[in-house]
Amino acid sequence: MSTSPTETPTTSTPEVKKQGWVRSLASNQQFILLAVLVLLIAFFAERNSLFFSTQEFGNLISDFCGLALLAVAETYVITSGGIDLSVGSTVAFSGICGAYTVQYAMEHHVGQVGVLLLGTLACVLTGAFVGAVNAFLITKVNLVPFVATLVTLSSGAGLALVFAKGGQEVGLDPSAVTFSAEGIGMFAWISIIVIVITAVLGLVLHNTRYGRYNFAIGSNDFAARAAGINVKRHVASVYVLAGILAGLTGMFFFIKGGGGAATTGIGAELNAIAAVVIGGASLQGGVGRLSGTVLGAMILTVVVDGLIFINVAPTWNQVVVAAFIALAATLQTIRPQSRR
Amino acid sequence: MTTEQKPVFELRNISKSYGSVQALTDVSFKAYAGQVIGLVGDNGAGKSSLIKTISGVHNPDSGQLFVDGVERHWKSPHDSMEAGIETLYQDSGLAPDLTIGSNVFLGREKMRKGLLGKLGFVDQKSMEKEALDELQKVGITVPASKRTVTQLSGGQRQAVAIGRAVLWAKHVIILDEPTNHLGARQSQEVLKVIEAAKQQGLCVLFISHTLPHVLQVTDRIIVLRLGKIVRDSPTSEYTVESLLGTITGLAEAQK
Repeated sequence: MSTSPTETPTTSTPEVKKQGWVRSLASNQQFILLAVLVLLIAFFAERNSLFFSTQEFGNLISDFCGLALLAVAETYVITSGGIDLSVGSTVAFSGICGAYTVQYAMEHHVGQVGVLLLGTLACVLTGAFVGAVNAFLITKVNLVPFVATLVTLSSGAGLALVFAKGGQEVGLDPSAVTFSAEGIGMFAWISIIVIVITAVLGLVLHNTRYGRYNFAIGSNDFAARAAGINVKRHVASVYVLAGILAGLTGMFFFIKGGGGAATTGIGAELNAIAAVVIGGASLQGGVGRLSGTVLGAMILTVVVDGLIFINVAPTWNQVVVAAFIALAATLQTIRPQSRR
Repeated sequence: MTTEQKPVFELRNISKSYGSVQALTDVSFKAYAGQVIGLVGDNGAGKSSLIKTISGVHNPDSGQLFVDGVERHWKSPHDSMEAGIETLYQDSGLAPDLTIGSNVFLGREKMRKGLLGKLGFVDQKSMEKEALDELQKVGITVPASKRTVTQLSGGQRQAVAIGRAVLWAKHVIILDEPTNHLGARQSQEVLKVIEAAKQQGLCVLFISHTLPHVLQVTDRIIVLRLGKIVRDSPTSEYTVESLLGTITGLAEAQK
């Protein structure tokens, strides 16, 4: 607040110094996340050498990719000041729609590549449709994002069950499973596609005008409007983007599992939101980095997979994830630049 | 200011009502380049309605609006911005989590050259540098260590917000209560920026309840009461008491 250029003189008592050191490291969220990730991998590898293997790293990459696009979607939505609860059930719903499309395409002998492309298209369109419904409810009906996406969360999950006639697997495609195993080294082709999309959307969020508007709207939508930004149009586009990413995740799981099931992805929105929060984004919008989200998603993946290697029942997953959210949120409160 | 000087901005017989409430009645005035005009009035006097009409938030029921001698009709606030009128609303301000450069260029980003620019990539470095240079020109020095708006004081934030309006306005800047919630010294920082805007030949419409600030910085004061202009005189003809009397209507009652 002072207009004088001199900084307040720092008293050099050890206590002040220590706090400054903790604070400056705590402010570098990326560094902390990376350190946590490395420590976790070291911990699990020390407890069980099987964890530190090519095969397990391949599993980790694949599991990470199942979460990555949802976390990216949630990063866009949350930094714009919203929330999307529907991405998980959109994975299920689009996966079922994709599965029926694949089934239809196989019956008409379009060939393996054609089948997968048509399935992907169906998933993307389904996701975009759910996103458009969210966008309509939020920007036209003026529902708050939490309620609007709660509506699509329920209806999407419900429709997935109806379409799957109560939950049986549909559109079984053995060739998809074969394809899911192909790739370069530990990286399956489908994982490489997910990683490329994640990287591109990271560039878009932090370097383009579209990304800038996203943060401006999340930070102060009134100021954004006053600056001539079409806030409603932007917000609508963010939910459609989130829907498309959920749709792509639906296809990812279809290919991995070789079929669509009405339970795939149910509840995944919570892990995606957790990854964003662990990554340092503010749920009030305006603050966050996609690299943080990616590290958050990696940490979650390593923890959930690692627990199996140290003989902790998978039923503990949610509890451990919750502990990480609490830890990350606490870290945020001691960040020096927190909003007033 | 000479009488043959062309007004940069003019309102003729502007009226506006909301249902049965007559917010503005036959409001007319001319504003000139390099003039700071105080717009005062009690709550409900029509100040907000007048600003919103000028900046294109809504349209008047009747009357004409001229910018630089040309009659204009706004479809949206964006139109008035394009015509060279910048408005700083009480709460609009800045996006606190964005850098100063991003805020100054918000909605008018500088793009990278070539293909990247076409793909929507912004030129962040040159925006940050240019923003600080331009703010310096209107007397706003932002400490180099402060990057995001959150790190600035209330006075510095408001100064940056006004500086932003000064940079982009071609003709008029409208400031709605810019010294609200600010301490004495911070208010003076803001008033200095208004002075700089005047020096650059902009017309400034200064809306405030803080009458000493209005008397300090304006050349002329327009008093609104119940949607009508009741007095429009050079600032030198007012004192705090007479201004207060005109705003409340007690001055006439005593005559």
